[in-house]
Amino acid sequence: MTPEQKQMVEFILKRIRKPNLTIDENTPLVSSGLVDSMALGDLLLELEDVTHMRIPPGKVKPKDLDSVTLMFATAARVGKPQK
Amino acid sequence: MPANKNNGHDAAGQGFKAHPLQYPVLRYSNLIEALEGAPGERPFVTFWVDEDEQETVTFAEFRRRARLQAGALRGQGATCGDRVVIVMPQDIPAMTVFAGAMMLGAVPAFLAYPNEKVDPTKYRSGLAGVTANLKAKLVVIDRDFPEEMIGCVSLDEEATLVRAADTRDGSAVEIVPNVLTEINSAAFIQHSAGTTGLQKGVALTHGAVLRQLEHLTRALDIDGAKDSIYSWLPLYHDMGLIACFMLPVVRHIPVVMQSPVDWVMRPESMLQVISEHKCTLAWMPNFAFQFVPRRTRPNRRAQYDLSSVRALINCSEPVRASSMKEFQDAFGVCGLKPGALQSSYAMAENVFAVTQSDPQSSSGPARLWADGSVFRSSHQLVTSAEGTPGSICFASSGRLLPHHEIRIVSEAGSDLPNGAVGEILVKSDCLFEGYYNRPDLTEKAIVDGWYHTGDLGFRMEEKLFVVGRKKDLIIVGGENLYPQDIEEIVASHPAIHDGRVIALGLYNPDLGTEEILVVAEVEREELLADAEVIEREIRSRIAAGLGVTAGTILLKPPKWIVKSTAGKAARSTTLEKLKKEHPELNIGGV
Repeated sequence: MTPEQKQMVEFILKRIRKPNLTIDENTPLVSSGLVDSMALGDLLLELEDVTHMRIPPGKVKPKDLDSVTLMFATAARVGKPQK
Repeated sequence: MPANKNNGHDAAGQGFKAHPLQYPVLRYSNLIEALEGAPGERPFVTFWVDEDEQETVTFAEFRRRARLQAGALRGQGATCGDRVVIVMPQDIPAMTVFAGAMMLGAVPAFLAYPNEKVDPTKYRSGLAGVTANLKAKLVVIDRDFPEEMIGCVSLDEEATLVRAADTRDGSAVEIVPNVLTEINSAAFIQHSAGTTGLQKGVALTHGAVLRQLEHLTRALDIDGAKDSIYSWLPLYHDMGLIACFMLPVVRHIPVVMQSPVDWVMRPESMLQVISEHKCTLAWMPNFAFQFVPRRTRPNRRAQYDLSSVRALINCSEPVRASSMKEFQDAFGVCGLKPGALQSSYAMAENVFAVTQSDPQSSSGPARLWADGSVFRSSHQLVTSAEGTPGSICFASSGRLLPHHEIRIVSEAGSDLPNGAVGEILVKSDCLFEGYYNRPDLTEKAIVDGWYHTGDLGFRMEEKLFVVGRKKDLIIVGGENLYPQDIEEIVASHPAIHDGRVIALGLYNPDLGTEEILVVAEVEREELLADAEVIEREIRSRIAAGLGVTAGTILLKPPKWIVKSTAGKAARSTTLEKLKKEHPELNIGGV
């Protein structure tokens, strides 16, 4: 896991706040029901901070954020430089 | 102005109604005539994706595209009176298909686009249920509808699946819209969500919709030359469809729209859109009044300009004063005027609004404080001063629209006086005539001309306060969920004892909306050792079945849930038990 991925995993664990939950960079988050639509917005904001990119929500579907690995791939694919 | 200063409110507080206003007859006899009457060059819909991508169509261009869609629908066999189900992402094409269907005299219905979390089998059965109930002629999907999902679109044998026409390729043919549609004929059908809710199609006539929009125009003093609407609301919901699509059609005002899916991932974008386009009106459910401030970092707020907003209306869930205060406190720095935040009580069965708070009031909707413990234990209102320890604050949903009446009744059906909490009954000139093809549900819902909402509320000083939701309905982020849909899914897990599941909504003050709580008995006590795994599997099943996330799942040993004499889970008794064993949960809280 890269340091950036680790940062995202830690953020997700804090956001979800489920005791005894462990996740890694490939754990399904959306399809498993762990993360709902409202929490996705928080993850998107954090992802932008970690990657220093602007990620247009119109270019992203929930499945693109289903795991930490997918999140970073999505940022690389559709992210724009922050203004 | 109302003829009677007391607005029809008698001393006993019964039969509370607003006196009818004297105003001109409706300008149009149907919604298509209204659309055709709009100035062609005026901007109608701007669909905003991000700051680099947005499309604006004028009324003339929208009509042209809708006529092309109407021609395509006719070519696919649709005619006057046919039901047309639309399953498309929220965008201008979906709106033109809807309008195109109405131009033919057909009766469209928006359905939610498949949620990517939803199990295809569940989606298919829900859609098949709707098309069978409506005896739909066509189901229209978008051109980019995933091929792998096509197999999931299972229809009633009478219905045909078609893709929306591409109005840019020159192949579709414009039709001449039918502007002679009779005012009392069905205009469109709205559905609530969930497997159970999809069976309750609310059929609305052109006349009912036009009357509602006339009342709303007067209540909000809508000015066709100055107002514009902002919306992220789904079009399959009454707030999105009526306030943010039909109202602009009839009043010829611009609407700037975002996809709800995009908005929920970046709630702050709402502020950007309003700032850019100087929108004056918007509606959203209560949870959004907390959701937006909490997802907008304080150091980013000052860049936005909300000074154009004259009414941002809290609607669809019970209105919480604390949520509105949070929004006002966060965005006062953006020029949000005191009194811009207002409220309304609305439902699809009445087309939309039943009440509306006064947009001229600089203090927003009226508020009232009451003893919290007395209210929670007995639903009695003992008013107290603001700030009294243990008091809770109720925000009003405003006064009745013209030609509207309400009653507040006890469980036995007796009318209750001011300050007493009971079920809200509604009668109006916008009321629906029934659930489409469901006389059994209609018979229970409309009794002697009164619609039994199932919502709980009270009256005080000519204003309505809504305090609870429809019986057993869970509302999460403005979306209706039926407990039985959730219970059925949970009970299908092999570790769970069939029939021993209860799902309910718990209000979470941090979210400003409800979360789903599930209580389920395992088949054998030893299964509780695997509680974590079972919980995870149940959570996945709920997400796959309904596209929603469960908040708390409590697994209990066999025989924990209290049974009724009929052998079913006794809901209220079990809830009492749950309250005692889990005081940390906000059961019955406000």
